[in-house]
Amino acid sequence: MDNISISLKENESKEISEIRVDGVIDTLTAAELEEVIESLLKRDRFKMIVDLAGVEYISSAGWGIFISHIKDIHENGGDLKLANMIENVAEIYELLEFDNVLKAYVSLEDAREDFGDTISSDNSKKKGHN
Amino acid sequence: MFRRPIKEINAEFKAEEKYLDSIQRTVRESCIAASMNKKEITSVLLAIEEGATNIIRHAYLYEKGLMRVRIVIYKKLVVFSLIDYGRSFQPDNSGKVDLHKLVESGRKGGLGFYMIQKIMDSVEYISTAAFNELRMIKRIHKEKEKGRPFLRWMLTLRFKFSVWTFIIVSMIIGGSIYYFDHEISDGMYRHKHETVQALGTTIAAQASGYLINNRSDVEFDELLVSYKRANPELRLIVLTDATKMIRAHSDDILFIRKQYQAPQGLNAYIYNTPQTFELGNEDVEFLVIPIELRDHLIGKVYIIYTTEGIYYQLADARTQIVILTMILLLFGIIGIYLLSDYFVSPILKITHRIRRFTSGDLETELPLEGAEEFFEISKAFNQMITRLSQDRKNIAAREKMAKEIEVASEIQKTLLPNKLPEIQNLDIESFYRAASLVGGDLYDIFQVSEKRYCMVVADVSGKGVPASLVMSMLRTVIQIYGRQLQSPKEIIVAVNDYMKINIPPGMFVTVFLQIYDVETNEIVFVSAGHNPMVYFNSDTKKIEQLNPKGMPVGLPTRDENKFADSIIEERRVMCDDDCFIIFTDGITEAPNREGDQFGIERLEEFIVAHAPDSEIRMSALSEKLIDLIDDYTGFNKATDDISFILARMQIKSSTPIEKQKSENRLLVRKINSDKA
Repeated sequence: MDNISISLKENESKEISEIRVDGVIDTLTAAELEEVIESLLKRDRFKMIVDLAGVEYISSAGWGIFISHIKDIHENGGDLKLANMIENVAEIYELLEFDNVLKAYVSLEDAREDFGDTISSDNSKKKGHN
Repeated sequence: MFRRPIKEINAEFKAEEKYLDSIQRTVRESCIAASMNKKEITSVLLAIEEGATNIIRHAYLYEKGLMRVRIVIYKKLVVFSLIDYGRSFQPDNSGKVDLHKLVESGRKGGLGFYMIQKIMDSVEYISTAAFNELRMIKRIHKEKEKGRPFLRWMLTLRFKFSVWTFIIVSMIIGGSIYYFDHEISDGMYRHKHETVQALGTTIAAQASGYLINNRSDVEFDELLVSYKRANPELRLIVLTDATKMIRAHSDDILFIRKQYQAPQGLNAYIYNTPQTFELGNEDVEFLVIPIELRDHLIGKVYIIYTTEGIYYQLADARTQIVILTMILLLFGIIGIYLLSDYFVSPILKITHRIRRFTSGDLETELPLEGAEEFFEISKAFNQMITRLSQDRKNIAAREKMAKEIEVASEIQKTLLPNKLPEIQNLDIESFYRAASLVGGDLYDIFQVSEKRYCMVVADVSGKGVPASLVMSMLRTVIQIYGRQLQSPKEIIVAVNDYMKINIPPGMFVTVFLQIYDVETNEIVFVSAGHNPMVYFNSDTKKIEQLNPKGMPVGLPTRDENKFADSIIEERRVMCDDDCFIIFTDGITEAPNREGDQFGIERLEEFIVAHAPDSEIRMSALSEKLIDLIDDYTGFNKATDDISFILARMQIKSSTPIEKQKSENRLLVRKINSDKA
């Protein structure tokens, strides 16, 4: 049935956390995502990008996570950005006028860029270390 | 307000999260039926999920419950209703939810409702005593489909019929034209070859005389030239003698007396059979005819001729035939189309009638006309309409009845005590649940004088509306006589006198009636054929069944005093922590899946197990009992009304006098039991 898988990638130098979610974010699976976001907030990491490329559906429980934390995140100088929404999800995002509250990007790069200047180069550095 | 609905879907689900999928599926199918687009369906499903989740979580608090989904599809909108029978929920400020306020508050609570409001065109929350309904309306935005009419026309029966007839007729005509054309052209070619052959033979015959007589070459040459001139299809005629020397040539006289060379690749020894070869740009035939005299070959006639003339002749004829056929076909198609119109028009008529039927016209019938097949369809349709309209009338009547019963149920509810009186030293709780909308059970607790309270549990024989009406009457009578008369026996006798005149024949009521005195803590009770009262003695920790004899109320008796004589009044002084339950047989006769009854033993066990706990409130005990019964019956729908009064003596104000009194009572009881 409904499943969710979440992977977290943290960029140390820029303090950006990228959360990649796959599956369905609904009543049953939302708690898992919320845990991840709350653990980041606890560690004072307020810059996050949620990669929704693999998410087919987000119920209000899912949107609720973003909406309920966004104020806290903004007040701490961070942001929660959504990236790679598929058409179905994007339609709901627009219909519900969440674009007033949450920023969405077509690609991860766009979202990263919006956080700061030279993140792409940063990224390549990281690869070099590996 | 609205037009008639196109379709209505009703479904009931258990209010559990695992059934969300099934609910979604039902909704999705309805959305597709309402021809919503993909985007609308996705959003509607989201809203439904929110609504349903809300019911599971907040209306039922994750406990057992049912959720009804009703979807009514109209032409331009769909009404989705989620109905539950749990706690009603108050939407925040009962107005529009604002996204920014949600963000400010950092709460998730209102988001579901916000989403529903955003997705749906109208949202209403209706809360009544019996149910809550979340009613959501979604408009259908039908896209303008361009080019669709043409496509639809392409799909009509008429068009298909015409196309198929056209194809079949064309194939037949084309096939026969091809066949005849083939035959004719073959014949023409054969004829041409035969003509040339005959000509060649004539020349050969003439030539044999000429060769024998050795006449002038020139003379014969002229003969050949004139032949060629007379037959334009001839390209060359050459006459040779046995040594292949040319004796006459239709083209040029200069070739005479030279050797004849057959065109390249052709065999000059194949006689009387045309060989085809290419000369210049045209295909020509090469024919060799031997000149024989008494079986001796004395010369040959070579003829080169063309058949192209036939080709042009044929091409002309074909063009004419094709044009003619086209014109005929065109008229044919028009004819077919018009003809199919004639055949299809009864279908259109029936369709039109069915449309009117779906939009509510149940009266006009289809005229019985047209071909036999349509006659039958019309007849069957008329029968169907008649049946349907009858059914509809029946349904309407039944709905009206159901409505009336609902009203009766509402009225009846107001007849049951909505609040129990506070009784000194007595923790008391009552319960009532009707098996159907209207019940035949009665319980009542009311004050009859300053220190005395009357408690009644009764069960009217039969069910439904008649039983409920008798119950209403009974309550009124007991309330009146309970205040006027002193002892329970007097009261029940007076009630019986009234009831036996006014109760419908064949019906009766069993009643347990007791008066409790606050001063003496004494209960005085009578039973008119009712179940025993289960009494817990806190001293012995044992159960007693108190079951004074008595006839049911409302039975006709020949002897005036028979009822009064049958009633025996009993009394008992209650001690601290004593406990009793007066109930109807809905409890003891509640069946489980196997049909076994709950039984009085289970009830007694229950009381013995819980009554000694002096901390437990009767309200809690009552809930426990209901749970026990419900667990026992499982999903079996209750077949009988359940009602009971549950009470316990609880001497709160421990003034010395009260304490003394209580101790005295215990002492008296001990002495009495010792005596026994």
